[in-house]
Amino acid sequence: MQLVANIIIAASTILLVGLGFALIYRVVRFFHFAHGVVFTSGPYAAFLLTTRLGLPLAISIPIAVVISAALGATMELAVYRPLRRKGSSPLVLLMASLGIYVLLQNTISLAFGDDTKSIRPNTISEGIRVFGAVITPVQLLTVAISIGLLAAMIVFFRQSIMGKALRAVANDPVLANISGIDSDRVIFWTFVIGSALAGIAGIMVAMDVDMTPNMGMNALMMAVVAVIVGGVGSMPGLILGAVLLSAAQQLSSWFLGSQWQEPMAFAVLLVFLLFRPQGFLGKRVKNASI
Amino acid sequence: MLKSLRHIFNRCTNNVLTIERLKSGYGKKQVLFDVSLDVKEREIVAIIGPNGCGKSTLLKTICGVIPAWKGDIDFNGHRINNATPAQNVCRGITFAPQGSRVFDELSVAENLEIGGFHLSEKQRRSRTDEILQLFPVLERRLQQEAGRLSGGEQQMLALARVLIPSPKLLMLDEPSLGLAPGLVEEIFAKIAEINSQTGVSILIVEQRVRAVLALSHRVCSLKLGKVALFGNAAELGEDSEKLKQLFL
Ligand SMILES: Nc1ncnc2c1ncn2[C@@H]1O[C@H](COP(=O)(O)OP(=O)(O)OP(=O)(O)O)[C@@H](O)[C@H]1O
Ligand SMILES: [Mg+2]
Repeated sequence: MQLVANIIIAASTILLVGLGFALIYRVVRFFHFAHGVVFTSGPYAAFLLTTRLGLPLAISIPIAVVISAALGATMELAVYRPLRRKGSSPLVLLMASLGIYVLLQNTISLAFGDDTKSIRPNTISEGIRVFGAVITPVQLLTVAISIGLLAAMIVFFRQSIMGKALRAVANDPVLANISGIDSDRVIFWTFVIGSALAGIAGIMVAMDVDMTPNMGMNALMMAVVAVIVGGVGSMPGLILGAVLLSAAQQLSSWFLGSQWQEPMAFAVLLVFLLFRPQGFLGKRVKNASI
Repeated sequence: MLKSLRHIFNRCTNNVLTIERLKSGYGKKQVLFDVSLDVKEREIVAIIGPNGCGKSTLLKTICGVIPAWKGDIDFNGHRINNATPAQNVCRGITFAPQGSRVFDELSVAENLEIGGFHLSEKQRRSRTDEILQLFPVLERRLQQEAGRLSGGEQQMLALARVLIPSPKLLMLDEPSLGLAPGLVEEIFAKIAEINSQTGVSILIVEQRVRAVLALSHRVCSLKLGKVALFGNAAELGEDSEKLKQLFL
């Protein structure tokens, strides 16, 4: 039972990061590596606000999420958009993104130090027993928040005109452009939403197991594996991918030891790349042109 | 000075679209060489010509997906050479590109909503209701994924989508492409119906020359990116010798 609980908890943060990453990947069509540092920015912003300004967590967390969203949006406005204007290829965007990642991770490292920082609520709370598994309140909250956000995203994509425009741009960017959709505006909101999701995920992870400047790398890699395993562009696929990946990780750390978590994730990735490159439920991404 | 006078002049005529000495292409490759033509209110103008002569390039340049190099594109007295597709949609030019292009992952209803992206929620809904009257086939399939429609239905959807913003000029690139003969007649009949009911001007590129000539008021024939003939459609329809020449 504890194993199942661990799988669900791990899957829910992978899901949040993966959702944002996949969203940006689908709409803008490049590998947004710096998504990892957006993830890290959430908890560090919350840390700064609580320790330096003395704000209570309940206030500093929402502000930190806004800061993460603004950070992602700034990357788009200051770097990616000018690059796209120049007609840069997705590879150039990836390199730029990698550059941003390294730059910002090191900035965080210099500003806060490489040691572990904590925003854990300092009253050590008792684990709650749920169906025979011990879960901390933070973990329970993590699962609840990611289910809630997932539902909110589904409603956003299905019901709002912005959500539909986002799907239209992902489906056929050229036709969306011809139909009068301002793709820059859509891309901007994609970054805002995706980055907010990453910031929230980062905060949830930090409240559970503390933060280090390089925490984003691992989170991003797990999210990418889940996205590829699930099939790019499929929401049910992503959920399945996140669950499968965290199941593989938790099972291997349960039976083989926790040092097996990461190798296992990449083993899963390799198996999928070799035998089912389009993922569980994914469709082949087509190249649209006119 | 002269230029602005000309735009004022264009506003006084009943021209919806006036193109003068338009040059355009891709990268360094020039495709259009001094193309001039005009479209009047309520008029259907056909664009014909052999493969690769620049028909699609002309429509793409007008709608703003590729930039005009030189010349003048005037829409209702406004110079729109540098307008983006989004600006043109707001002004009243919509474009259905070649190859029954619909958003295949979106439902039929969502495709129509995207067509009215810049409208208010209320306008979008009332326009959709109006347009659906013209397309009963779509009304029955609103929740279906557009990718699952047949070729003919997708073409109808593409047509319905570009009608949502109440355009003054509709540009259609080979709406009959890949359709069975019976469906070709159906779509042409629908285009004629739209033109007579709404009064929208239509610029239509077609390979099915006889059918499109029967539908159009005037015709512009392109050859290697130049206008080879611009004149009455019915007259050209009767002159098989000339037609043959234009496609040599
Ligand atoms: N995206 C593009 N990049 C570079 N060259 C292009 C592009 N699209 C078309 N061309 C070239 O421009 C020329 C005109 O193409 P265009 O598509 O306008 O022809 P068309 O008259 O529409 O032909 P068809 O009847 O086959 O649709 C052709 O020589 C074509 O190879
Ligand atoms: Mg063409």
